[in-house]
Amino acid sequence: MTFPYKGYAGYYLEVDLTKGEVHKKEMEKEWARLYLGGSGVSSKILWERTTVETDPLSPDNVVVVGTGPITGAMFSPSGRMMFAARGPLTGVWAESHVGGFMGPEIKYAGFDFVIITGRSKKPVYLFLRDGKAELLDASHLWGQETDTTTKMIREDHKDPSIETAVIGPAGENQVLYSGIIVDFYRAAGRAGLGAVLGSKNMKGIAASGSLGLEAYDMEKYLEANAQEMEKLKDPLWKDSLASLRKYGTTDLVAIINEIGRLPTKNHWTGFYEDADDIGPEIIAEKYRIAQEACHGCAVGCKYVIRVKGGKYPTEPIGGPEYETLMAFGSNCMNNDIESIFHMGKRCDLLGLDTISCGKTISFAMELYEKGIWTKEDTDGLDLTWGNAEAQVELVEKIAKREGVGKILSNGVRKAAEQIGGDAWKYAIHVKGLEASGQDPRAHQSIGLTYATNVRGADHLRSISCIEELGYPKIAGDRFGPEKAEAILEIMSPKHKGEVIWDMEDLYALVDSAVICKYTTMWPPVFYYDTFVNVIPALTGMEEWGNPKYVRLAGQRISHLRRAFNHRLGITRKDENLPPRLLSEPMPTGPAKGGLPDLSEMLDEYYEFRGCDRETGYPKETKLKELQLDFVVDELKPKGMTR
Amino acid sequence: MKEILTIDLELCTGCRNCELACSVAHTQSFNPKRSRIQILKDEVRNLVVPMVCLQCEKPLCQEACPNGAIVENEHGILFVKEEICIGCMNCVTACIYGGIAIDPQTKKAVKCDLCNGDPACVKACDYGAISVASTKPEGLHQRRKAVSPAFQTLGLQIEEVQE
Repeated sequence: MTFPYKGYAGYYLEVDLTKGEVHKKEMEKEWARLYLGGSGVSSKILWERTTVETDPLSPDNVVVVGTGPITGAMFSPSGRMMFAARGPLTGVWAESHVGGFMGPEIKYAGFDFVIITGRSKKPVYLFLRDGKAELLDASHLWGQETDTTTKMIREDHKDPSIETAVIGPAGENQVLYSGIIVDFYRAAGRAGLGAVLGSKNMKGIAASGSLGLEAYDMEKYLEANAQEMEKLKDPLWKDSLASLRKYGTTDLVAIINEIGRLPTKNHWTGFYEDADDIGPEIIAEKYRIAQEACHGCAVGCKYVIRVKGGKYPTEPIGGPEYETLMAFGSNCMNNDIESIFHMGKRCDLLGLDTISCGKTISFAMELYEKGIWTKEDTDGLDLTWGNAEAQVELVEKIAKREGVGKILSNGVRKAAEQIGGDAWKYAIHVKGLEASGQDPRAHQSIGLTYATNVRGADHLRSISCIEELGYPKIAGDRFGPEKAEAILEIMSPKHKGEVIWDMEDLYALVDSAVICKYTTMWPPVFYYDTFVNVIPALTGMEEWGNPKYVRLAGQRISHLRRAFNHRLGITRKDENLPPRLLSEPMPTGPAKGGLPDLSEMLDEYYEFRGCDRETGYPKETKLKELQLDFVVDELKPKGMTR
Repeated sequence: MKEILTIDLELCTGCRNCELACSVAHTQSFNPKRSRIQILKDEVRNLVVPMVCLQCEKPLCQEACPNGAIVENEHGILFVKEEICIGCMNCVTACIYGGIAIDPQTKKAVKCDLCNGDPACVKACDYGAISVASTKPEGLHQRRKAVSPAFQTLGLQIEEVQE
C-alpha cells in the first residue's frame, strides 16, 4: 500500500450495482490532505461524479458512505459516519450523519469510503469483512423493518458482532424523507438518503472487521487526546455533561421552551404550554431504563426506554431525541408522550426521518385547521391538533405511500405544490428540507444557519449555541472581547454573519473527521485547535499541524459544498427563510414579537465567506486561494463566479 | 495478592472504550476484535455482557494447554506466552466463561493479564464501570453483584443478590 497516512483504513470501495461489481481501491492521498474525510471527501466525489442532469432517484446518482480518520480511533466522541448524495427531497446537496458502531466497524473491515452507483436488478446488500466486499442477495430482507433486517443479517452470517446500516419499508417505497438506520435505533435520518438507496434496490450495508487502525505517533496522539479530554473536564462544563448523561438531548425541551424557541403548532409559535408533559423529567423518571453511548464516547447522551401497559407499550428501545419530541409533540400540539415514543419507534423501524415526518404531519394538521383540507382529503382522519391517534396512522400511511400518505411522503414543499392555493404558506422548509427544532424569531443566527445550510432548513451545519446558552468567555476568545457583548445578544444580528461563517467551517471539519457535534456544538469545547492537536499525530499529515491550513481546509469544504449547489441553480434567493419564520412576528411566549434580520446577517456572512452579496456566488480569488481551481473552471463559464 | 476485574452493568453504557484501550495497550492499534475484554450486546433486549478473564483459582485454560503456554507473570497473573502458544484453541474450548480467545491476527490465544496491575480498561472507562477488586470474598461478591442486571434481564434472577 502506498497510501501514506495512518488513522485511515487506507482503501475505498467502488460499488456498481448495475453490473453487480465491487472494486477495492487504495485511498487517494489528496482526499485526505485537502478534504480530510467524511463530508469533505464526499463533496469532492459528488462534485466529480454528478451533474445537473443527475436525477436523485436514478441509477446515475451516487451515494457516498463515509468515515473520517478519527472514526474508530478512540477519540471521544468518534463513533460516527455519514452518507451523502444528491438529495431526492431537495434536489441539492444532501448529507446525513449517524452515531453508533457502524462507522468504526466499516473501518475495521478495511474501508474508509464506499461509493455506490447504478441500480441492482434485484434487492442486494453489501457485506464488508476484513478487506473483502461482496454484494449479497437481499430478496428475503426486502419489505422487512430495520430491526428485523439487522437480526436476519446477523443470523445469516451466524455473527452477532455484525453492525448494519439499512433502510426500512419507507426507503424501499422511496418516501422522499426516508433515512438510513444504524444499529437498531440510530438514524442518518435527514434529507432522504434512504430513498436513494431504495431506488438502487439496495437494502443496506453490513460490516464486521478485525483489521484495526494505526496511529502515526501513538504516544503523541494519546497525549493529544488526553489534553482534549482534559478541556471537557473543566468545571464550566460539568453541568452540561451531567445533563447530557442524565437526559440526553431531551433536556432541550425545557431549555428551548424557556427561551421561546420550541417549534409549536407547525412553527406558529415558539412556546408550548404543555412542554413539561413531553420531557425531560417525565422521561427520566418514568420511562428511562438505561444509559447508552456510541462507540468510545465519554458523553453518553443516548438512553433506552421501556413502556409498560397503556396504548403503546414497548420492549426496550432507543429513547427519542429532542427533535423527535418536538416534531411529533409540541409541533403537533400533542402532549401524549407515549404516543411520541411510539411514533419515534415506528420511524426507526420503517426507516423515516422523524423531523421531516413530524413536520409534514403538522403541515397537514394546519391545512385541516385552515379548511384547505377536509376529511375527504385525509382518508377520513380527523387531523385536529393533538390527535395522536391520527398522527400514528399517518406515519404508517406515509411509509407505505398509501392514501393521503402518498402526497405527504413527498415532503411539505412538493405536497404544497401539488395541493396548490395557500398551502405553500404552511410549508415550513428551506430548499425543500423541513425545518428542524429551532426558530429564528427567538434566535437570530439560527435563521442564517437555516438559510445558508447546504442541505436545507436544519441546524447541524452551523448552529451557534454561544448566544443561545450564553458563553461570554468563548465569544470573547473566538471573536475578540470587543465583539462579545453584541454576539451574546440572541436577538441582535450583529456579528452573526461572522459567527455562523466560523461555525460552518468548524462543523465542516467535524463532519469530515468524522466526530460528533456534542463537545463542539455544545458544550462548545473543541475548536479548530483540537484538529491541529490531534490530526497530525494520528495521521502523519504534518500540514494539519498548521492552524492556518486547518482553517483553510474548513473553508475549502464549505465552498465546495456550496459550489455543488450553485451548479444546480442555488443562489442568494434560495438562501432564504419560509415566510412564517421571516415575517410573522413570534405571536406568544418569551420571544414574543421577535423577527430575524436575515438580510443584514446574510450580507455579513457573504463578506466573510468570500462571496458576492447579490448572488451568493463565490469570488474567483477565494476559490483559487482554496485550491478549488477546478470549481472555477466549471462555474466561471456559467457566470457563477465573481 | 491476586486481583480481578469487576464490571458494573448499571454504569456500563456499552461504549466499548475498554476494548479500544485494551487493544492499544496490547497491540498498539485500535482494534476491538483483538481486545482481551469483550463487550457482547443484544440491543433488542437491552443486554450488555462483558466477557473478560475471571482469573480462576483453578484455571481450566492452563490445564487444557498442551504446550504449557499459559503461565504466571511476576504478579501471579496468568498470561499467554505468544512464542509458545500454537493456536490450537484447546484453552478457548476449555474456558466455560469465554475469558480466553484467539487473536484474529496472530491466531494465538490472548487473555487479560491485568496490565501488570494497572489495567488500561479501568482508566479508559469514563463511566467508572470497571474496577479492580481483590479475590477475597468481598471482591467476589462485588463482581457478582455488578453483573446482576444481566441476570435480571435474562430472567435468571428476580431480585438483587443477597450479600
